[in-house]
Amino acid sequence: MKKLFYIVIALLATSIVYKHIPQEPIENGFNIQGFAELPVQVGGRIKPLDSVARNTLLILSGRQYVITPKGEKISSIHWFMDLCMRPELADTYRIFKIESPDELGLDGLEEKSKRYYSYNDLQPHFEDIQNLFLNLEPEVKKRTAYERQIAKIYDGLYLYNTTLQSLHPTGDAERLDRLADEYQSYESIIGLGLEAIRAQQNNETYDPKILNSFIAFGDSYLTLSKTSRLRIIPPETVSKELVLSDWKNVGLELLDAMKGESLSPVLKSYAQLTMAYRSNDSVTFNQGIESIQNNFKLQYPKAEKRVQFERWFNDFKPFALSIQLYVFAFLLLVISWLNWTVPLNRSAFWILTLTLILHTFGLLARMYIQGRPPVTNLYSSAVFVGWGAVFLGVFIEKIYKNGVGGAMASLIGFATLIIAHHLAMTGDTLEMMRAVLDSNFWLATHVIIITFGYSAMFLAGALGIAFIFMGLFSKNFTKENARSLANMVYGITCFAALFSLVGTILGGIWADQSWGRFWGWDPKENGALMIVLMGAIVLHARWGAICKERGIMLLAIAGNIITAWSWFGTNLLGVGLHSYGFTDSGFFWMLLFAISQVFMMGLGLLPWKYWMSDYARSRCL
Amino acid sequence: MKPALKFFSSLKLTVVLLTLSLLLIFFGTLDQVEYGIWETQKRYFESFIVVWSCPDFIPNINLSWIHLPLPGGYLLGGLLFINLLAAHATRFKLTWKKSGLFCIHFGLILLLVSELITDIVSEESQMPINEGSDANYSETVLDNELVLIDRSNSDYDSVHAIPVDLLKKGKRLSIPETDLSVQALKYYPNASIARSSGAQALEKPIGNKGLIQRMSLSVTPKPKEYTEDAINTATAYVEIFDANNESLGVWLVSNVIDDRFPPQVVQSGNQSYELALRFKRYYHPFKVELVDFKHDKYPGTDVPYNFSSEVYVKDMDNSIKQKALIYMNHPLRYGGLTFYQASFANEDTTSIFQVVKNPGWLIPYISVLLMGFGMSFQFGMHFLRFLKKERNG
Repeated sequence: MKKLFYIVIALLATSIVYKHIPQEPIENGFNIQGFAELPVQVGGRIKPLDSVARNTLLILSGRQYVITPKGEKISSIHWFMDLCMRPELADTYRIFKIESPDELGLDGLEEKSKRYYSYNDLQPHFEDIQNLFLNLEPEVKKRTAYERQIAKIYDGLYLYNTTLQSLHPTGDAERLDRLADEYQSYESIIGLGLEAIRAQQNNETYDPKILNSFIAFGDSYLTLSKTSRLRIIPPETVSKELVLSDWKNVGLELLDAMKGESLSPVLKSYAQLTMAYRSNDSVTFNQGIESIQNNFKLQYPKAEKRVQFERWFNDFKPFALSIQLYVFAFLLLVISWLNWTVPLNRSAFWILTLTLILHTFGLLARMYIQGRPPVTNLYSSAVFVGWGAVFLGVFIEKIYKNGVGGAMASLIGFATLIIAHHLAMTGDTLEMMRAVLDSNFWLATHVIIITFGYSAMFLAGALGIAFIFMGLFSKNFTKENARSLANMVYGITCFAALFSLVGTILGGIWADQSWGRFWGWDPKENGALMIVLMGAIVLHARWGAICKERGIMLLAIAGNIITAWSWFGTNLLGVGLHSYGFTDSGFFWMLLFAISQVFMMGLGLLPWKYWMSDYARSRCL
Repeated sequence: MKPALKFFSSLKLTVVLLTLSLLLIFFGTLDQVEYGIWETQKRYFESFIVVWSCPDFIPNINLSWIHLPLPGGYLLGGLLFINLLAAHATRFKLTWKKSGLFCIHFGLILLLVSELITDIVSEESQMPINEGSDANYSETVLDNELVLIDRSNSDYDSVHAIPVDLLKKGKRLSIPETDLSVQALKYYPNASIARSSGAQALEKPIGNKGLIQRMSLSVTPKPKEYTEDAINTATAYVEIFDANNESLGVWLVSNVIDDRFPPQVVQSGNQSYELALRFKRYYHPFKVELVDFKHDKYPGTDVPYNFSSEVYVKDMDNSIKQKALIYMNHPLRYGGLTFYQASFANEDTTSIFQVVKNPGWLIPYISVLLMGFGMSFQFGMHFLRFLKKERNG
């Protein structure tokens, strides 16, 4: 019976993992994976086109896939290929997410009453959108929800347009089908064209036909150099500091040919890709990809592996899988409180441990891709807070084996990864570090330790909530249970206080090294200090026997509010040197979270007679 | 035990004080949105009592009647200090077991003391230097001074400076080492100065010497601004008297009337002085020369990759004392001062250093070592004991 049970649980877990593994699409022999791994420099970082496609689509539509008008579900890289190579198709895909189209006041949009629109749907409204955008409040922070929506649509259209022109000049079918010819005739005319311009300036005779067509090329490529978003052409020689090597977009590469530089083979290969894709010629397409990749491999032997890994990592999505497994572990543990404790408990523990390993792998993978310690921005801090809490939770579970620590840890793991998922909506989460924060030593010490302090505080707070709920509603919750839970919270709070204090102090030293003051009363510093004080309050209240179990638990829940404030709230203020992660709807969620915690504390303050547990009855006496 | 001692050494007091500190810091963070970091720091953390008033953050609802008085940083810090000393005097005995706690508490005392020292004696200023030139002073836009400069000696200038805090009171002050005395007829912490046609100006101009004699200017007082980048235009009408207490005239001075304008001159007998109200300067006994400033960005972005300034520290007779590269997280410490790469201007040809004088800068390092050690020791011991207990059943 027990064995059968474990097998069932293992099967369930396997099915979650299996469903998560992406099925490789084989698109009529086109090497789409190879295309997804082509390198590009965006935001100073060399990454695969796959990441660009995903982030762009995420910004436009809030998801990483597209449903075509035919009802097919296509991946973001497939969408990106259509966007650049078959724009006539991509323009019909509904990818612009508009939350409340009826409020925009654009005739025709509200009738459709959908949430997703295609480029062609929006096209009749371009002028209106532009006019609305030009009249917006210039200061971004003061914009209303309506104005933000307008700005989002406008920015989205701009992003769409500049991305569309990333691989080569765009245009109608005729131009796209003959890109190679275009480049060839441009190359052959450059010498004559320059000669004609000089002749014109010196009042000598020249061929006006050549001059005009040369100027037409020049105009077109000059515009392209300004509107083409991605830098896909690597420089011929890599500069000494790898990160400062300046890649070019296609427009600039074409313009620079006028200086006598020959056109990059990469540029020509992209034209070949598009023509092959349009004419359904998978063999030529795959050859084009191979030639770009070989070129990259020669120049950046190390980066090539990393870019390929990043593509694979994007597909694997360990955090999305972790979210599901955390939920599974949490459910098993909650059920284990009710009945059949040991087998459920044990299997949940193993699932939690495996998920922790997966979560750890995700963290390490990001470190490898970015070449940085794990916490570099708000997104990665969310991933790390969850990891830290689960790490501690697994440890507690190993000691106490009562399912409470594990359940609360998986809950925090789940919640923080959901938060991270929403924070990722704004684009690349592996952005380059600003100079002021560029110190691997301090990132690896101060930031990690502080963030681990958050993990511990949240775990203590979550255990406090578990205490209140079990005490209120579970008859089986005994005095001993209460005491052991209180011990857990005490231990974790010690831990949180230690890490917050050491982290805050290290932060002070970093501040002294970089700004000349150990302490500047900056909001983020203050937030960290508040956590230290909260920890000190809990510990002193216990040592002084000022609070008993329940009081300590209530303080631990209050610690949740303080920690959330320090983590998110201080960034909402928009002052100080640290506020690098402003989030917009953050204020609302912050407030909601604080209210929910106050509500829990209110529940905890109910008189003992309303508590159903054994423990409470012992307190009544 | 005496009741007073019992009260001051109690853990209950500790918890109450810690809670109040938590609240003080919270409201002191919120108010930074309204008043900026510097002003809030003064009001909340360098004071004995502070009253928070609710900002009107919800449109159309008046909340500014809500006030909350709180004990300020000095009061709380002081009480915590007493609380800690009293507790150690009465309840603690120095044993091996408690040595961690002693370290933590002693570290905390040091930290509080060092913060107090920093508040009182530290000076922060900025030193902008153009590439290829040098500077021997730094200035702060947060404070101003009235100066009389005697340029009669060909080797050096004599600068007689009066802090504006003294001017504000409107009393007559004699200027040390000169025969002159000065009195501020009007002082505005912030104002705007504009050319006027005379009649419309809110305040009638009262000056009759220097710039205001040649140009018709009007001064409109403005409330002081506290936002982070705000620079207040301190402005004053000052009357200068000679040795016989005869008025030499009234000048309009302001920190916007700077090097761009011809100097305003006070003539007293044969002696002439340049008169100016300017950002407070700190002169140093050495010069800093900026050889080269570098600022790289990540390709295709405005995200800075690095800033760095190559400098020479030179004696006043131009002999090079030290070469240094100042960049992020790597300041230069020289002559009791620390120079940090703070900012830049003029299309990357000017580097701006933050110059900090803080004689107590080492104390926090010592205190944190103590606290870190104490905590690790104390909690480590707890933890080992806990594990042992678990293992034994």
